[in-house]
Amino acid sequence: MSKCSDRNGIYPFRSWRDITPMLSSVGTMRHNRTGSWRFVKPVYADRVPPCQNACPSGNDIEGWIRLLQQGDREGAWWHLKREEPFPAILGRVCFRFCEAACNRSTIDGCLNIRHLERYVGDGGPHEADAPFRRPENGKRLAVVGSGPAGMSAAYFARLLGFSVTVFERLAKPGGILRVGIPAYRLPREVLEREFSSLRRLGVEIRTGVSVGDDIGLGPLAADHDYLFLATGCHQPIRLPLEGASAGDRVLPALDFLRRSAEGRPHRPGGRVVVVGGGNTAIDAARTAVRLGCAVTVVYRRTRPEMPAHDWEVEEALQEGIDFRFLAAPIRVEAEAEGGPLRLVCTEMTLGDPGPDGRRRPVPVADRTFEIAADTVLTAIGEEADLVYLADRLQTESGFLAVAADQSAGAPGIPVYAGGDMIGAERTVIHAVAHGKRAAVAMDCHRRGLDPATVLDGLAVGTGTGIRFADYIEAAPLSPVHREPRSVAGPDRIVADYFRRVPPTPVAVRSPEARRGDFDPYEEPFNSSTAAAEAKRCLHCGRCTECDNCRIFCPDLSIHKATEGGFGYTVDYAYCKGCGICSTECPRGAISMVAEDAAADGSQR
Amino acid sequence: MRQVIKGNHAVSQGVRLARVKVISAYPITPQTTIVEELSEMCARGQLDSRYIKVESEHSAMAAVIGSASAGVRSFTATSSQGLLLMHEVLHWAAGSRLPIVLTNVNRAVAPGWNIWADQTDSLAQRDTGWIQIYAESNQEVLDNVLMAYRLAETVMLPVMLAYDAFFLSHTSEVVDVPEPAEADAFLPAFTPPFRLDLENPRMFGGMVGPDMYYEQRYAQHQDALRAADVYREICREFDEAFGRKYDLVETYRTEDAELVVATAGTVTSVSRIAVDRLREEGWKVGLLKLRMIRPVPRRHWQKALGGVEKVVVIDRNLSPGLGGVLASEVRSALHAAEAAPQVFAAVAGLGGRDVTPEDVAGIVRACREAERPGDEPLFWGLKTGEPEPAMEDGRHAE
Repeated sequence: MSKCSDRNGIYPFRSWRDITPMLSSVGTMRHNRTGSWRFVKPVYADRVPPCQNACPSGNDIEGWIRLLQQGDREGAWWHLKREEPFPAILGRVCFRFCEAACNRSTIDGCLNIRHLERYVGDGGPHEADAPFRRPENGKRLAVVGSGPAGMSAAYFARLLGFSVTVFERLAKPGGILRVGIPAYRLPREVLEREFSSLRRLGVEIRTGVSVGDDIGLGPLAADHDYLFLATGCHQPIRLPLEGASAGDRVLPALDFLRRSAEGRPHRPGGRVVVVGGGNTAIDAARTAVRLGCAVTVVYRRTRPEMPAHDWEVEEALQEGIDFRFLAAPIRVEAEAEGGPLRLVCTEMTLGDPGPDGRRRPVPVADRTFEIAADTVLTAIGEEADLVYLADRLQTESGFLAVAADQSAGAPGIPVYAGGDMIGAERTVIHAVAHGKRAAVAMDCHRRGLDPATVLDGLAVGTGTGIRFADYIEAAPLSPVHREPRSVAGPDRIVADYFRRVPPTPVAVRSPEARRGDFDPYEEPFNSSTAAAEAKRCLHCGRCTECDNCRIFCPDLSIHKATEGGFGYTVDYAYCKGCGICSTECPRGAISMVAEDAAADGSQR
Repeated sequence: MRQVIKGNHAVSQGVRLARVKVISAYPITPQTTIVEELSEMCARGQLDSRYIKVESEHSAMAAVIGSASAGVRSFTATSSQGLLLMHEVLHWAAGSRLPIVLTNVNRAVAPGWNIWADQTDSLAQRDTGWIQIYAESNQEVLDNVLMAYRLAETVMLPVMLAYDAFFLSHTSEVVDVPEPAEADAFLPAFTPPFRLDLENPRMFGGMVGPDMYYEQRYAQHQDALRAADVYREICREFDEAFGRKYDLVETYRTEDAELVVATAGTVTSVSRIAVDRLREEGWKVGLLKLRMIRPVPRRHWQKALGGVEKVVVIDRNLSPGLGGVLASEVRSALHAAEAAPQVFAAVAGLGGRDVTPEDVAGIVRACREAERPGDEPLFWGLKTGEPEPAMEDGRHAE
């Protein structure tokens, strides 16, 4: 076109008349390697999404939601199963720390992660052997207690090739999952299906065997190479009530729940008062409502201080449960033998905050009142029963003391422990995390590796979560966190790039209907609602090939990965380090790092 | 169809009839209603155009540079500070030889903050390489848009159309709005001689060394000069199509005039009344309406003013340290002419102050009486009363 330049850069140019209106050139500026101007460079970071960071177990939530988005429900299941023993259970009972941290909540409402997990967990294939299970390693592990911690340790250890036997004191396995969590939250058939899935992997469960009574720790250790203790906290703390000898009309809520779960429910009479503000109190109150009782929950402080989850309190209120806040029971009186009870309470007020930050309840002098009741259920906490340890392991404040790798000492053989009995946070997902960490730690011990170093290398985010997938698989599961400790919090999200989509509605049975039975009351997702909710995931900190970096790069220095590869490459010969790609990345998946400190993140 | 519309909406109608493909603008008083109407036309589907929202005038011009580079008809509009913010990319648009049309509603430059008529903003862009045409009426504003695209796309240079804030932008007049078919016949679709083309990748606006830059600028200068004659031909065709006459310059009662008033913008209309009154008084006075300022239609100015004794240029603008810009331009254009008239300079109406027929007549009388032009322009209407006595602390008394 132009007479002024040609491909060889020779200008046959003699006169201004040779000038074309628009000077253009087919030559290149490739010789001008502008990459030398750069002092910071973009690298694909793969940060930790806040959901995964918040998960005590380090569940790669974004990873399985990504597969779910692609319509691969089974792939999502296997992805979940690399980090979790029983998704269908956690998909119903988890305390969802993930959702509280979800960046989407700063935009239009957090993702309903737990409900999606239930959808994936119910999908299976429950019958299949895990493709990533390692061959037998010849070591025998005894797990004491078949609650979430014990079964988690059993599952992960089994995946690592241990021969695993679980000892359960009760007639059926499950621990708190079976005797504490009511069926309307966790249907028993779900529990059975998940446990039979673990059995199929080769986990042996021996029920009706009490370690301590039927078999001592010593003989157990003699028969095995490793021991994992997870006997929970099943000793209710007794409320020091005067006159609390009203027979079985004043009893611990946990006992009440267990009897209800075992199918021989205590018939509590018409009026039930539950004392306490934790999840056990709410579970007991809602169970009593389902047995036809009028229920009042008495709590020393106010609703914001309740340890129970707010949504459970809300659902309890919907179901007609009455709450009496700022009330501390001091004694129980019976009008006559076998007659109605009067729970005498002191009125309380909130004083200064205590060590946990919650304001302490302080009695108001001379202000008491009575509540009539047929049954009083106390739910003010539970303790661990450590008698069977026979002082062979170190305890601390009534709990078994463990190190960061869950080890509790080695009196004869290495002993590990987890769950409620170690005095950590007492949730199902924390218990699962303990089991996972312990399984890795004992495998490290077996292999002669330092468990602390290995666990540190597997750590994800700023919490206790680890990536089991990276431990068990020689080739780490993609995507790998290049910055495994850096969390893609809300400040890394460019919210303007995301369309506002409110959470996908979940149908819930009416409070009136659910009061009549123990059936679950949240309708599950179907394939289309699950897809709609999965699509809301922002994929915080992880590349989705959205192309923003490539489109915005003013130097055309970002290229799509070669055929078959995922993501992009940066052409550092020309990248000037302007940082526009990093700024415009909607999900904080690109870091700008000083030239000399650049990690090898040139490809995504 | 004849409609009573404001000058800004006359521009919007012109842009609609020109079937502009890309519009990008940032709002600024008094330009806002132009693009407001255009955005509504786009939203209503009356105009098949992409409206690009931007965060500044610099970006607006950059956006239409991009779209014009891709070979599509592009439009933007601004005023005052907005035009000044575009300055850097105005050069780029002209140097890139892109046929963009921009309408600038002439508004005073701040500070002091002033939204009223004043031509300093566009005249300050006279060296950017843009063709500049000034308008006197809303009809002319509309017609200028259609003619401007013809001109821009013929000589491959951008065109800036200027008209006065409020006196035109927000004043309603009868405007004959052409039918789309008529407009299409006069202004066919644009076929760019060069454009960004994936099939023929090239680099535009790259490095040009000392060996070629000079010639490139000279070629641009030659095309700018050529624009004057091209424009005359376009005006002739426009007259044929629509029956309305325009030219590089327009004269009024100059046949036997001894003194000619030269103006651009709405002062022209006022001056026409003043000329009639002075003629009634027996003075041989005429009017020269300056339309095209860039390129300077030097020959045409010389010809129109041949035989005239005095020219009085009234400037609604001020280049501090120089005076009125148009007087300077006219004086420069006439310098080499044979029997060049004396050029008197007057400054009036800055920042939207009214210029009445009496003001114009007063300026003419003052210049007619003067033997020769002074060093300084005549600052007509400048308040020169005794200042208020200052109080002891330096403040003025209430």
